[in-house]
Amino acid sequence: MFRTLMLSAAVTASFAGAASAQVVVSSKIDTEGGVLGNLILAVLDHAGIETENRVQLGATPVVRQALVAGEIDIYPEYTGNAAYFFNRAEEPIWRNAADAYAEAKKLDAEQNDLVWLTPAPANNTWGVAVRRDVAEPAGVTTFSQFGQWVAGGGNVKLAASSEFVNSAPALPAFQAAYGFTLSPEQLIVLSGGDTAATIQAASNQTSGANAAMVYGTDGQIAVSNLVVLEDDKNVQPVYQPAPVIRAETLAEHPQIEELLKPVFESLTLETLQELNGKVQVDGLPAADVAQEYLTANGLLK
Amino acid sequence: MRGGIRLLFLPLALSPLLPFAVFRANRIAQGEPRSLVETLGAGPAALAVAALAGGIAALAFARRPAWGAAIAAALILGIVLAAGWGASSLMAGVPTQARVSPGAGFWVALVAAALLLIDALARMRPRPALRLALVGFAVAAGALLLSSGALSQLSVMQEYRNRSAAFWREGASHLWLAFGSFAAAMLAGVPLGIALTRRAGARGSVLGLLTMLQTIPSMALFGMLIVPLGWLAANLPAAHALGIRGIGAAPAFVALFLYSLLPIVANTVAGITGVPRSVTEAADGMGLTRRQRLFHVDVPLALPVIITAARIVLVQNIGMATVGALIGAGGFGTFVFQGIGQTATDLILLGALPTVALASATSAVMDALIGMLPGGAR
Repeated sequence: MFRTLMLSAAVTASFAGAASAQVVVSSKIDTEGGVLGNLILAVLDHAGIETENRVQLGATPVVRQALVAGEIDIYPEYTGNAAYFFNRAEEPIWRNAADAYAEAKKLDAEQNDLVWLTPAPANNTWGVAVRRDVAEPAGVTTFSQFGQWVAGGGNVKLAASSEFVNSAPALPAFQAAYGFTLSPEQLIVLSGGDTAATIQAASNQTSGANAAMVYGTDGQIAVSNLVVLEDDKNVQPVYQPAPVIRAETLAEHPQIEELLKPVFESLTLETLQELNGKVQVDGLPAADVAQEYLTANGLLK
Repeated sequence: MRGGIRLLFLPLALSPLLPFAVFRANRIAQGEPRSLVETLGAGPAALAVAALAGGIAALAFARRPAWGAAIAAALILGIVLAAGWGASSLMAGVPTQARVSPGAGFWVALVAAALLLIDALARMRPRPALRLALVGFAVAAGALLLSSGALSQLSVMQEYRNRSAAFWREGASHLWLAFGSFAAAMLAGVPLGIALTRRAGARGSVLGLLTMLQTIPSMALFGMLIVPLGWLAANLPAAHALGIRGIGAAPAFVALFLYSLLPIVANTVAGITGVPRSVTEAADGMGLTRRQRLFHVDVPLALPVIITAARIVLVQNIGMATVGALIGAGGFGTFVFQGIGQTATDLILLGALPTVALASATSAVMDALIGMLPGGAR
């Protein structure tokens, strides 16, 4: 029995040889995908694990499909996206960070043999950022405070896409939960606008804009002197980035879990904004930004 | 220079009034326009305007198209060099995150001069060999200009400097994707086309199938190929050893191959069935076998039509290979999609400009080759 097992293991190994010898590290094609993917890659490389670099592979469906099919071994995914992978977007569970992570971890372990490793304490979700020179005097850091401030006559002008203003889970949900209403004069609607455009509008005070629709870790936020409002009543699904790895790969290299834990735990919202900003605003290659961050923070041991 | 083309003198002459450069505090900040004087300084700007005026006057009086072409080429060189020089002077003493890119004035002048050059070249009616030489000259001049460092402070070149190793790696994958899939499609498509000329019954259904393939959006086709190719890689060690994977270059290669088939097969069929009946009857009358007639009569006469398809396919592949970046195939599209993700126009251009240059050069070379074929239209 033992011999048969050994034999079949040897045969499997020789067939799968090229595939499993290297850990294929991948990520999404966007800016944060570049940063997170290169962080994982640098940590594994430094630990002497043989890797293949497929960072910034493609859009979310492509990377996800590649992981499930075993074409890649590890990539960073957002907890909130599990809601869409498992067609459960309507459920409130995704709006609580811990529950969303636990649910994503459970579903992927059961159905796809995937392991969600320690997530970063950052939430890259849809939200609003306010100019620092407006938020600080008004004492606004959370959405609850923002709601009170606006309801009390605070002078806000929000730049947002028409989707953000009109779609039920976005601005209308924030307004209902936090008890404020923005009049048409307090809105600058950029039809089809992305966060780059809205952040630019708030940063340059175009048409008097002083707040912008953002994704939490957008690289432009820090240089544009905006502060992201904390969604303290959990209106939006939580999008915490965490490495997702194939169980088989983790079994071969169990040390990966402990290697990546301190790195992702160090990635706060502000840290990710800064790292994304170095790539997006300063134009530095993501690999250099990742390497420099890990070295400077003593995360390569 | 004669006729309506002289209308281009107007935008060329007025271009110095438009902002010559755009300055941005960092690569995604809002651009601030800079006039020619602000960019180059008053003295050099005056010299540049004088040179431009001289160039326009010389073009107006140039009697031979060759002179017109030479003057227009010199104007283009001057405009590009001025942009490079202006970028260095605007970048002097500002933080390295700042970016300078060409402004509206540059583009108006460049496009006008380029159209004047194209017109002059068309009127020269160059022979195919000369056209090949001109393409070679343009490529060499471009390479020299880029490697000289004269343009190094322009924003696109800064993006290049940050990624020079990746640039050449992606360039190589781009060429392999576009030309490799083209070669495979020629090897499969021409024999298929020849076979279809002999089986009129199958022709409709095969061409119909290929037409249907052509209508599938590229992104969808790439996505559809991930599953079957991934299965092959997992279950056939030989396929895995050949580098076949569900993601990466393999699905992009297969998709480009499939897209290439319709033009090649359709034109092969059209070319061979288009050989005049009198010619084929004469060949038969001379006692040629079917094989002899195919290789000595049909294929040579159909060649210009087939090579025309080859040109369409190559240019189409060079452009479409950019989309392969979305499934990890590499190529210049990598920079385009990363640039879109970062809203960094310069990075998008770093992927788009070489793609356009590659497609134009390939198209010009293929045109010249078609002209060199016996009986080919020049």
